[in-house]
Amino acid sequence: MDSPAYISLKDVVFSRSGRRIFDGVSLDIPRGKITAIMGPSGTGKTTLLRLIGGQLKPDSGSVVVDGHEVPKLRRKALYSLREKMGMLFQSGALFTDLSVFENVAFPLRVHTKLPEDMIRDIVLMKLEAVGLRGARQLMPSELSGGMTRRVALARSISLDPELIMYDEPFAGQDPIAMGVLVKLIRDLNSSMGLTSVLVSHDVPESLSICHYACIISDGKVIGEGTPEELRAHPSGKVQQFLQGQPDGPVPFHYPAEGAAQDFGLSGGVS
Amino acid sequence: MIERIAAFGRLGLDIVSSFGRSGRFLAGVLGGVPRPATGFPLLLKQLYAVGVLSLAIIVVSGLFIGMVLGLQGYTILSDYGSEAAIGQMIALTLVRELGPVVTALLFAGRAGSALTAEIGLMKATEQLSSMEMMGVDPLRRVIAPRLWAGFIAMPVLAVIFSVVGIWGGMLVGVDWLGVFEGSFWGNMQSSVDFVDDVLNGVIKSVVFGFVCAWIAVYQGYDCVPTSAGISSATTKTVVYSSLAVLGLDFVLTAVMFGDF
Repeated sequence: MDSPAYISLKDVVFSRSGRRIFDGVSLDIPRGKITAIMGPSGTGKTTLLRLIGGQLKPDSGSVVVDGHEVPKLRRKALYSLREKMGMLFQSGALFTDLSVFENVAFPLRVHTKLPEDMIRDIVLMKLEAVGLRGARQLMPSELSGGMTRRVALARSISLDPELIMYDEPFAGQDPIAMGVLVKLIRDLNSSMGLTSVLVSHDVPESLSICHYACIISDGKVIGEGTPEELRAHPSGKVQQFLQGQPDGPVPFHYPAEGAAQDFGLSGGVS
Repeated sequence: MIERIAAFGRLGLDIVSSFGRSGRFLAGVLGGVPRPATGFPLLLKQLYAVGVLSLAIIVVSGLFIGMVLGLQGYTILSDYGSEAAIGQMIALTLVRELGPVVTALLFAGRAGSALTAEIGLMKATEQLSSMEMMGVDPLRRVIAPRLWAGFIAMPVLAVIFSVVGIWGGMLVGVDWLGVFEGSFWGNMQSSVDFVDDVLNGVIKSVVFGFVCAWIAVYQGYDCVPTSAGISSATTKTVVYSSLAVLGLDFVLTAVMFGDF
């Protein structure tokens, strides 16, 4: 990697409800680049974002964000670090009792003492960046799924963060909305000099915009590198994931007892 | 047998850990100094949602309960020729017991369940998480105003309930059944003591308000963020609040009025 790491995870172990989600994950996320974290559903990709944001604490290992050891931060320091982070949630997570304008204005009103006319200008600029300046008066219930994510994106960049984390930004989007989001993520990263972390299992879209990617499976990083390096990766598991093959190192069948026993066939089946 | 003992132990541990979590939750909500500039508008909004919007059910219920008390009181007291005491009977019943208790039960059903569902849905739709990630503590921004609003609204609602109830009792006792108005109000004034009766009733409603609001916001915040989880949390709010109110009412009555 040619740029210093903005986020560094070292030997992170994390368990929940008796299940080990991460078993010694180490990962460096470069500053000012788009890093895609991919992996099958249920591998803890969103959990990884929550560890970076300090919403969860690892059982062991270190999570360093911009030089701060996140799990050891006190509440006040953690909240002030979060002011430098933006996060786009899978559902958008807009406040349903506030209009589009007020949603985007929310972080500004809470964290700054800017005059109302300046807040208005900033909100309209952020909405303009996501193409929804005209939708400022709408309520979240009046927005489509793609528009919801764009408003949430405008909200997450309203304080001009250094880091932005995208949790499954493409899930459930139609091709046009997906294209819009891909463009926005790429443009925002280059125009604002953000460090972007993109969690997704949409391989073509993620690889088309990221500078660096890693694949997590079974609690470990099984492959990492530039998109080209990943495409040429020797691991069968990595190739199965990238090419979407239904069977391979990750089997099609969930582990079960013998079929003959389950179907009551004494002669056995092949 | 061993399994039953283990299950009993698990249940005990769950209950203790739930009490511990709710205590820590409460400390998180009440800890820290609220900023009046941001906190007051949020509190006003919640006072409207849990207080003003509960007024209709409180007023209508108070009116009918007062009317029923008037009717029942007259029927019983007239057997002893003492129907003139109906005013004090209605007032004492409402101010000491029915005002705080029925208001708390109605509050748990109307406002408590709404608070739980609202917070639970905010959790399920990641609104609370997104607030945390924006560097805003949801305990202080979302939960605290709702807790304080319940705490403030309940005594006011209980007083309104009692006043409307007494008026309903008067409608039936005086206007319909013909009890002399002077003895209705006179007996009431001479037998209802401000500190012993009214103030104790208000203290009860303050305690119930705190407990009901605490249960409601905690159940919402701690719920499993699915539709089944929110449904279960809403039910728990109503059941736990009702049981807590009735149990605490006995304890408070014993302390306030018990002459041991």
